[in-house]
Amino acid sequence: MGNLLTSGSDFVSESLLKFVESTGVAGFFTQMGWGSVVMLGVACFLMYLAIRHKFEPLLLFTIAFGMLLTNLPGADLYHTELFEGGHVHWDIFVANAGLLDYLYLGVKLGIYPCLIFVGVGAMTDFGPLIANPKSFLLGAAAQVGIFVTFLGAYALGFTPTQAGSIGIIGGADGPTAIYLTSMLSPELLGPIAVAAYSYMALVPVIQPPIMRLLTTEKERKIKMRTLRPVSKLERILFPIIIAVIISLLLPSAAPLIGCLMLGNLMKECGVVDRLSKTVQNELMNIVVIFLGLTVGATATAEAFLNFRTLGILVLGVVAFCMGTAGGLLLAKLMNLFCKEENKINPLIGSAGVSAVPMAARVSQTEGQKADPSNYLLMHAMGPNVAGVVGSAVAAGILLSFLG
Amino acid sequence: MKILIVTDWGWPEMLWVALISICLVFFVLVLLVGVMKCFGLVFARRQPSVAAAPSGRVVVQGQVHEEEIAAIATALDLYRSAMHDRESEVLTILSIKRAYSPWNSKIHGLTQLPDRK
Repeated sequence: MGNLLTSGSDFVSESLLKFVESTGVAGFFTQMGWGSVVMLGVACFLMYLAIRHKFEPLLLFTIAFGMLLTNLPGADLYHTELFEGGHVHWDIFVANAGLLDYLYLGVKLGIYPCLIFVGVGAMTDFGPLIANPKSFLLGAAAQVGIFVTFLGAYALGFTPTQAGSIGIIGGADGPTAIYLTSMLSPELLGPIAVAAYSYMALVPVIQPPIMRLLTTEKERKIKMRTLRPVSKLERILFPIIIAVIISLLLPSAAPLIGCLMLGNLMKECGVVDRLSKTVQNELMNIVVIFLGLTVGATATAEAFLNFRTLGILVLGVVAFCMGTAGGLLLAKLMNLFCKEENKINPLIGSAGVSAVPMAARVSQTEGQKADPSNYLLMHAMGPNVAGVVGSAVAAGILLSFLG
Repeated sequence: MKILIVTDWGWPEMLWVALISICLVFFVLVLLVGVMKCFGLVFARRQPSVAAAPSGRVVVQGQVHEEEIAAIATALDLYRSAMHDRESEVLTILSIKRAYSPWNSKIHGLTQLPDRK
């Protein structure tokens, strides 16, 4: 009897010990270094920014929560080794994958950014761009930031593919940045996504000083001509024409542009309202949850806490500033060749950096500071949506050259 | 589709890629400007009465004409006169506790099973 009790107590204590060792609490002391603790702090800080200050909450919140989950010891939700070397290791995938690994396939295979673009297209009004096609030029000029940063990143020691991924932050377009980075340098996905979305939220802080620095009071007061009305037929033909032209010229940009224009056509044709509402709401929301969680999950301590991340954050600001300046300066240059009644308010040039519709709102706010009776919002929406097309084109070009 | 096969990247290659890329972005978007301009011309010809201001005047932003002010004022007046007091749409069912009475008892209202003795 006594023997039975002794062996029983040994079994119980051994089982309990194994159970305690398997918990995340024990992992805090055995597996976790200071890096994971810092990452948990970063995740909590990002959640604070998203919840308290509403900084791009839809994505920053989910990214931060994914970051929190991936850095908790023992949870085993995401395994970097399954995606090592930039491709999926299918041979060991099913046996080892956790929940976030399965969800991450959507990022890795370039599915989520394209689905988000369908929703973005369905929510975008290309009317101001159709009415004033010159806005395309401002959208192109604002992409200068991408290529300046591309060179800057190379100068800081990043590889050409990494430099391309960092440069695309200047496009101020989250799905495009994630799409290109997942193709070119997936190891930088976490820092680049965090930088892109953080800076997009900070557009009202980053852009106004540059706008005031590069424009005069007189230029900021320019009132633009009312845009011509755009017919329904034009709105329907626009996405078809753009999708065909860009896909023929740049096949690598076809997934992004094709999805963007598909969503827009759903909205404009008016016969598939149910589909249009679904991609704008349910589909978009579901994909945002998956995308945010999995992108956050890639931000492990080893991937995030190094000087590269610091470099990416600095280069991200440079990219935004250069893009803003590019749009403003081209608008000023175009004014030199415009008649008096066709002058462009240079403030709308800064909206070419994409970041829809925040950048257009910044143009409107700055314009009203100079002249409260000046309404620039609709004029700024032209370069703003042209920036979305421009950044997708730039991503396609970088993918063709570096992919 | 990969265009460049570069094995040894250096500053000359990087500069060329950056330069060609920005030129390509401009080329594609300038092409789209051209296409959209042609597109606009065709549609402007199809709808001359809609595209131009009625009197041929250039409509400058910030200028509001008397007719527009009258239309806005009428619309506002009609909107305000159509408004009614809003009633609370909250319906609340309060639960009431009554003392037990055999008169409303469910068990006494049921047909009793026959009792075989």
